[in-house]
Amino acid sequence: MVYLLAIVLFLVLLVFILEKSPITIAPRRISTGAQNAEIIKVLLNLDEQPLEDLFKLYREQFGEGPSRYARQTYLKWKSGSVRPNKQTFARFMVNLPKVMSFDLKCEVLRELREAYLARDTYKLTVHTDDWKQSLMPLVETINEKARTAELPKELQHRLTWLAEDDVQVANALLAESQERQSLNSLMFLEKEFANIEQLLDNAGGRGKVTHLLKLPTGTISLKIKRR
Amino acid sequence: MNDENDELLPPQKQSLFPVTAEDIVDNALQSLDEQQAREVTKKAADEIVRLAVEKRKAEYRSDRAQDEMRNLIHNANLLDEKVGDYKINSTFETATGTTSVEIKKSKTNFVLIVIGLAVFVALVLLLVLTRL
Repeated sequence: MVYLLAIVLFLVLLVFILEKSPITIAPRRISTGAQNAEIIKVLLNLDEQPLEDLFKLYREQFGEGPSRYARQTYLKWKSGSVRPNKQTFARFMVNLPKVMSFDLKCEVLRELREAYLARDTYKLTVHTDDWKQSLMPLVETINEKARTAELPKELQHRLTWLAEDDVQVANALLAESQERQSLNSLMFLEKEFANIEQLLDNAGGRGKVTHLLKLPTGTISLKIKRR
Repeated sequence: MNDENDELLPPQKQSLFPVTAEDIVDNALQSLDEQQAREVTKKAADEIVRLAVEKRKAEYRSDRAQDEMRNLIHNANLLDEKVGDYKINSTFETATGTTSVEIKKSKTNFVLIVIGLAVFVALVLLLVLTRL
């Protein structure tokens, strides 16, 4: 009986230690080829018009043959079934930015920010009568974090054009735009919470409401309760 | 004399981080040529239009979500009158994200809880009475 108790105690201690000690997993080393493929994938997520502009520029710079090949293969690059070679990567991500319009650079940068700037997810429980006090400090924290966020150093090192003056300006412009979009979203929250409160009132204690607040800089999962 | 005085001045206190993010952007803006500056102005105007369009779309989603919520309540009230147990799960695309609602009414569960409690109380009473 004493042995059994000792074993149980030992197991409990072991579980406690394992839970408390952080398990560090060595970051997976990604080959340069795989990194290139990821960056090209991000680039090809551009909307229809900027993508068309990009291919037009590609044809102007590298000729009809490579352009035709790029147009035929881009869906395979996008899906990941074919990995672009070094030359393709250099053409798209090193040479083309040098001749891109500011508008196109902004769109490429938007995609890079979308893909590489972390968007955290938070969970919060709020009541219909105090949601502002609970939510606003978190929104402010998210926005502040987004204001100071930078693209990964490795990406900046590989795409040196990101450090150029016009790209710095583009980055500031996109960050400002994101912040304004967040503010626009928050203006709607007042009305949405009024709707939700009305719904909970009418549901007479039978309703459960959660709201996924999607800000350009992060997502907050709200569990909404009525007092 | 003045030169001597200048030399005697203590060194100015300097920040360890003399260049802020705003400084970098300001410097970048100043070094753009006229054409680039025009492109920046145009893109900024485009962004304002894009945001206005997004806002209009959000307004539309907000109005639609409000109508759908009213319908949901109406349907729940109808079910209340006609059915004993029901559960409705609904999601609405709103201006700021997605709202998920669950409305549940379960008489069966309530009855089961009451029966369970009654059985428990009866067992406790039985136990107490047999000990006496």
